[in-house]
Amino acid sequence: MTVNNDNGIWVFAEQRSGDLHEVSLELLGKAREIAGQANSMVTAVLPGHNIRHLAQTLIDHGADSVLIADDPQLDTYRLLPYALALECLIRDYQPEIFLMGATALGVELAPRVAAKVRTGLSAHCIDLNLNEKGHLLQVVPGWGGGVIATITCPDHRPQMATVMPGAMKAVCHEGREGDIRNVEIRLPEDHFGPRVLEIKKKAPEGLPLEKAEVVIAGGWGIGDQEEWAMIEELAGILKGAVGATRPPVDEGWAQEGQMIGQSGKTVRPTLYIGVGISGVMHHVVGMDQSKHVISINSNPNAEIFDVSDVIVAEDFRKILPPLLKELKSRLKD
Amino acid sequence: MDFKFSEKEEMLRKAVREFAENELPPKMEAMEETGEFPMALLKPMAEVGITGIITPTEYGGVGMGYLARTIVLEELGRVCGAMPMAMQVHHMGCAAISDFGTDEQKEKYLTRLAQGETMGTVAVTDPAGGSDVIGMKATAELKGDKYILNGRKCFMTNSHTSDFWVVIAKTGEGAKGMSAFIVDKDAPGAKLGRKENKFGLRGANTGELAFDNCEVPKENLLGQEGGGLGVAIKTISETGRTGMAATALGILTATWEEAGKFASERVLYGKPISALQAIQFYMAEIYSQLEICRLLCYRASWMKDQGMRCDTETALAKYYTCESAVNAAKKAIEIHGSYGIMKEYAVQRLFRDAMVTVPAGGTAEIAKVVLARAALTPFKK
Amino acid sequence: MNRIIVCVKPVPDPRHWDKVTMDPATMTLKREGIPSILNPLDKHALEAALTIRESRGGEVVSLTMAPPFVDSILREGLAMGADRAVLLSDPAFAGSDTLATALILAAGCKWIGEFDLVLCGNLSIDGSTAQICSQLGELLDLPSVMHVIGLEWLDNDRAIITQRIEHGRVRMEAASPIVVSVLKELNKPRYIPFTGILEAESKELKVISNQDLKIDPGLIGLNGSPTKMAGLEVRRFERKRERVEGSIDEIVQALADKIHQYGII
Repeated sequence: MTVNNDNGIWVFAEQRSGDLHEVSLELLGKAREIAGQANSMVTAVLPGHNIRHLAQTLIDHGADSVLIADDPQLDTYRLLPYALALECLIRDYQPEIFLMGATALGVELAPRVAAKVRTGLSAHCIDLNLNEKGHLLQVVPGWGGGVIATITCPDHRPQMATVMPGAMKAVCHEGREGDIRNVEIRLPEDHFGPRVLEIKKKAPEGLPLEKAEVVIAGGWGIGDQEEWAMIEELAGILKGAVGATRPPVDEGWAQEGQMIGQSGKTVRPTLYIGVGISGVMHHVVGMDQSKHVISINSNPNAEIFDVSDVIVAEDFRKILPPLLKELKSRLKD
Repeated sequence: MDFKFSEKEEMLRKAVREFAENELPPKMEAMEETGEFPMALLKPMAEVGITGIITPTEYGGVGMGYLARTIVLEELGRVCGAMPMAMQVHHMGCAAISDFGTDEQKEKYLTRLAQGETMGTVAVTDPAGGSDVIGMKATAELKGDKYILNGRKCFMTNSHTSDFWVVIAKTGEGAKGMSAFIVDKDAPGAKLGRKENKFGLRGANTGELAFDNCEVPKENLLGQEGGGLGVAIKTISETGRTGMAATALGILTATWEEAGKFASERVLYGKPISALQAIQFYMAEIYSQLEICRLLCYRASWMKDQGMRCDTETALAKYYTCESAVNAAKKAIEIHGSYGIMKEYAVQRLFRDAMVTVPAGGTAEIAKVVLARAALTPFKK
Repeated sequence: MNRIIVCVKPVPDPRHWDKVTMDPATMTLKREGIPSILNPLDKHALEAALTIRESRGGEVVSLTMAPPFVDSILREGLAMGADRAVLLSDPAFAGSDTLATALILAAGCKWIGEFDLVLCGNLSIDGSTAQICSQLGELLDLPSVMHVIGLEWLDNDRAIITQRIEHGRVRMEAASPIVVSVLKELNKPRYIPFTGILEAESKELKVISNQDLKIDPGLIGLNGSPTKMAGLEVRRFERKRERVEGSIDEIVQALADKIHQYGII
């Protein structure tokens, strides 16, 4: 039964206990972009219980319409009722594309739904595009990031993908207009599998160095504790972790656990910025798998430059203060 | 001749490598500092079967033979030389009791060794003579239903972590005047002496034992009275030498890997130094020694498994592999240049570890005495 | 406890990943010279099965869908302690995406017979889709739980399962049969005991094909998979070594632009 012949781009609005996950807003941003190219509409799908108040936020972030599937059985997230609810909606509305965040919830839910409707699903996408046929091109990493594949789902619908949180950008236009609709879903009164006994929430832990997306590392060239503060500030602004070579640890500016290198940690961030680091091999082996490397060192022949993508042969004291200022102002916008 | 390992042997190598790479590195810093064996690893090693590898299954071992044991010790040594050193001496304790013990003795002592409840050792070396075995001064005199042991034993690996030791002492004179005993740690008059401070293979405890009118029950005579030299020689030449050779082989493997990695990463004159012919020749030399020693070690242990006489082959494997390990480590340090003398790099430890394997478990000179016999006997007139 | 099925997958050894090349004609990866290992998370799954068997008895069967030459990897699972191994191998399976693979594994589970629990690793290190658990559960019409860091089997064929989510844990109670995928926090896999290596030789490793499973060929393999490969690229990291010069202002602007380009701000 097709209720709405707008086969559009669907985004799963993920929420737990009424807390909307950021990734849903990011996906709406991307969906909006794709919808523009495909001349299509964006629908946010919001299963849950008593979650109507979230609808406007979804519209502000790009949804043309919000389908609310409200049912007491969907109060606490459980895989089976949520999968069943989404299956009902998909069969009724037949969307072209269905995007979910690759969160713990999304990674579990999306494949179950895809199997229910026997469609294709790509996982942990880092990018989405449309090809000339208007099909979704799903860009996924494999083999630890060494291989990039582009996946399509030409013959099955909806084309489903889970997308890495942080890969897309949320765009907000407050007060946007959109359509909010309550949808009847037919959930049988069933056991629905595992019974939730308890949900324990933990305060987010400090990011371990090995998992950081951004690492700012300082070396002997920093000179003293006061200047070291700039390393920490830069890490703070870019939401990264602080790393160090051996001398700053010996001097007490950094801790043992922050040491990167042969006898320390190995990091693989998206961005590594090395400041005042000469780049001796026993440090380099700990960071040379970083995706992008920026190095700042006043010595134009510093070894670290051999393993850098961006080289700044200047005294960091001249570069960091204005850089911190510039980054702060850009982030404000 | 089949120079391939079986699927079981390949799986064994993979299994030990995984164990070694995961379990040993976290303990190594403490081992270097204190020289102490990490007792917390004894049980895990027993659980996978390392402690009981050559002991028959009836006595709680795995009974996989000497070639398997060489693979195990080699893989342990590739990560940390002190481990196979300690384990191979432990196996000597197992072999002595397994080969010469009565059923009661095996019941009482062998199972405990195989299952890693305690560590084994064979105490032969006397302050009066290591290579000169017959020159030992430790004595054992039968008085009633006890032997009274007097003397000292030194350079014993696992001395301080063993609940009992196999001790060789003189019950008479000459080659047929020695006997072997199983001595409990708690035997009256048995004392732990000093702990040695080795410059390499730190993590294998080496120490002294002292016996002051130590009482050993008659039933603890291991083998025949007067057969002690046979116990010592068989255990040392078959179990000890193959064990030391495998230890050195592991160290040599690690040396080759460290040198190869460094040479491929270190850039000078715009290229990795592995592009320089001098370095290539060093690597060729290291690799040649590695291949030669592999063949020597595997052949010697294979012969033992076949029940063939192999004391010449074990002597050759032991002396040649230990010597090669030292030479390779020296070259590897030079390949590293000044990085090679820094403690942060592994090669300095490999050099120290290799050097310690040379006199331990039989000097090169004794090995050459054995080899000279094999070299000249065919031409004796 | 009657039977636990553990899905295990051979994957290319990450220490050799830099050797992978791509065949541009077929858009497939060439894995020659890259040795395989047992997917690390699958060892945790095996360990969980062996632990449950220790207290509850039953049989542990390893199940794999792979080309035929993966014997030695499966023997490792047997050496670890699995009772027998089943290998689903058929040219018709080649190129299957996750849905097709889940269909094949589901057929394999049914072929093996009744079971109380299916365990797998949360994801495999090569494809890393993490989709098999949920899809296998759906196709077997059984509940499924992912991200498991706690698994306690109770007397009445029920289990207490702890699931890791961002910033927290969910504890749930489930009835068997159920499909569970595990994270490494669940346990420390035992090292392969040498006795296991000796025993593995005589344990059963059975290879079955689609002749035994009789799955509709239109639903499996490259052609039967809903997702298709439209492009494949092998990344080689070569540092750009781009020198940024000019006035301090220009340098700072260029750096901020780069940081933005990299997706950080």
